[in-house]
Amino acid sequence: MSASLAPECNEVKERYDTCFLKWYSEKYLRGNGKADNNECSKLFENYQKCLKVALEERGIDKLLAEAREDNKENDAIHMKRK
Amino acid sequence: MVLTRTTNHTYSHPFPTVTLAFFLRYYSPQLNPFSSHVLSTDTISSHVDPVTGRLHTTRIHLKNYVLETSVVDMKEGWMKTESRNLNFTGVLSVVEEQHYSTSPPDGSAVTGAGSFNNVALGVPRPLSPNTFVTTTFSYRSTLGNKKHDRAPVDSAETPDETGPRRLGSWISGWGANRIQRSIESIASNKTDDQLIKSRDGMGMVLERLRNNSVVSVLRELRRREGKAVFDQ
Repeated sequence: MSASLAPECNEVKERYDTCFLKWYSEKYLRGNGKADNNECSKLFENYQKCLKVALEERGIDKLLAEAREDNKENDAIHMKRK
Repeated sequence: MVLTRTTNHTYSHPFPTVTLAFFLRYYSPQLNPFSSHVLSTDTISSHVDPVTGRLHTTRIHLKNYVLETSVVDMKEGWMKTESRNLNFTGVLSVVEEQHYSTSPPDGSAVTGAGSFNNVALGVPRPLSPNTFVTTTFSYRSTLGNKKHDRAPVDSAETPDETGPRRLGSWISGWGANRIQRSIESIASNKTDDQLIKSRDGMGMVLERLRNNSVVSVLRELRRREGKAVFDQ
């Protein structure tokens, strides 16, 4: 199983992943994914709560912010293209 | 300057299965032996756009830090993905863009798309048996430019990775251009091997999904790891 970058989040991450992949294959791919993936949203919340702390501790939140800043223009172009 | 390389590839699997394999490709070395260099994979956002029905997902993969964003449109039959390095961007920024589609890149109609009963997804409707993917790598070195001095993420970096960043200060305005071009070129030549491995990896995940549902694949993986099987 793929791990989380924060080992303490492995368990919640795996629960979310399992839920997401099931939702994706059984609902979204069959055209039933119009609403958000609600059955996984509680699990996603738990997972993000855990992950957020880890991202801050490792300074990854800053890298993400930089990456988003760098690519604002690019993204605008990509979105128009399709 | 940006150096770009574009390649085309066709998977002999229907589009929905290919998108599923994309999400699964780093899931386990047992599924994809070429994923053992990926230390971790985390989803940081995932939502379905209520208007377009598109699924937007952002993940972080830890090899070096890689940020992956993807958009799937099941109705229109395409998926766009973008992966970029999050660290060392002051030395070299590599962006991999992929466009997966039910139709070939030249836009010609898909022929021979007979009825295809996909076991993995239980989708009974006819699907094109092939998925076409165009991959573009862009390499841009900004070594010596103003944004070269980013804080390292990890203190455990190897000396040759921190080296070029230190060079940044004196490289500016002196041969920086030539050095940037050769960094781009070296990186671009290295990618061929990486691209083949990534395709082979996707291929192995796809073969597993040909005859098994994702739920049964995940259960089998958990069983092998001796863990309890989630019921949900």
